[in-house]
Amino acid sequence: MTGIIQKIKSLQWQHFVFILMIVAVAIGSDGCKTTGKMSKKERKAQIELAKSQLTEIINGTCTRPLEAQERTVNEIANKHFKDPELDKMIEDARQVLKKAFAEKEKQKQEQIDATRAELLDMLLNKDDKSADELEAELAKIKAMNLGNKDINDLISKVEQKIDGMRNKKNVPLKNQIENAFQGIADASRSGNASQVMSLTRNTLQLFSSEDATVLIIISKEGSIVDYDKPTTIKRYLEFVRDQKASRNEVDTYQLDREGKIKELDLIKK
Amino acid sequence: MKRRISSIGLICLLILTSGLFAQNKDENISPQRKQAIDSLALEKVRDLSKYISIIGNKSTPWSESQRVIERAVELFMENSEIGVSSLSKPDVAYFKVREYFDRLMKLNYDRVTIDWYKIQYVSDLERQPDGTYVGVITIYQRFQGFDKEKGMIYEDTTKKDITVYVKRKETQIGGRLIGFWDVLLGDIRVKETSK
Repeated sequence: MTGIIQKIKSLQWQHFVFILMIVAVAIGSDGCKTTGKMSKKERKAQIELAKSQLTEIINGTCTRPLEAQERTVNEIANKHFKDPELDKMIEDARQVLKKAFAEKEKQKQEQIDATRAELLDMLLNKDDKSADELEAELAKIKAMNLGNKDINDLISKVEQKIDGMRNKKNVPLKNQIENAFQGIADASRSGNASQVMSLTRNTLQLFSSEDATVLIIISKEGSIVDYDKPTTIKRYLEFVRDQKASRNEVDTYQLDREGKIKELDLIKK
Repeated sequence: MKRRISSIGLICLLILTSGLFAQNKDENISPQRKQAIDSLALEKVRDLSKYISIIGNKSTPWSESQRVIERAVELFMENSEIGVSSLSKPDVAYFKVREYFDRLMKLNYDRVTIDWYKIQYVSDLERQPDGTYVGVITIYQRFQGFDKEKGMIYEDTTKKDITVYVKRKETQIGGRLIGFWDVLLGDIRVKETSK
């Protein structure tokens, strides 16, 4: 016994403190590993925080995106607090989010439908908008980033139309008229009534009125010019449509002050 | 008084000579101009054949048929008649143009095809004393009537003669004096009908 006391006394006090620290650390780390539990106080606080977050989601007062809200609910669920009230709230929050996602999808579909209608109107250009006006409208639609294939296809078509309108300005009026006549004849031959109507409408816009005179030269000999019976542009376009053929080309035309054709002379091809 | 009479006489003489000159100008039309007029008249008959196809086509909307009937009627002289024949009847019935088109539109078949071919002059345009050119164009019409279930239930080919009248007229358009040839179709008479 005295031997042991002697040995203890022989230890330096610094060694004792060092050994004590190691024992304390070992005991402390073994405690976390074995239990894996938070303190009751900590758990209660986390449950309260989760409830508060879920309440916001359930009441629809959470301003974060739906995807972020969904992540929050999943994170809470994954902690498995095993609190009946909290579990009920998680279920409620999931139902609320499901409805919100469905509503969001519905709204997106409605937006796609409305945008599709808008783009189709732009393609027909019933209001006779300029290329710049159409482009401004298209920019707004593109900014929506709807990510829908149909919409993207229509956007491409409107872009082509705008390009076409810009290029058309560079095409001589004579060619525009002749192309329009041929287009109407071709569309009529293929039975495409809507295209015939659309081309007719667009062609009439080149003229001062539907009653603008159309003269068809059947023969030119020196100063003597023989014409077919005079007609109007509206009736001539109907004629091209009915006959499914464009037999005349532009000889001359006269413009009014607004640059629209008031008189058109055609000649047999 | 004498001066007034001589002035009136001078004006009359001028009108008469200008009239004679104008008449002379139309009388002596060159072969090229005559050919253009011949072609114009033939073209009007071809136009009519397209109109008849549209009116007879059962898929043509009613409003569209009415519009085309108006255009077709405008091709004819007033009171002109069109002959209608059938393999089952020996007589040819004649109808006023508008009535003919109305009947054509309402034919009791599910589908009708009407084609005109061999459109050519049988009698060249000849100048009449009043300045009108008159000629006869002959056409062959193939008519086919179809039933939805039975298919084609009637078919015939009819040779028809169309009298054409062409007259030069003048009109003022935008300060310009325009001389145009007014082509009008007269009666369409059935010459023969065969299967």
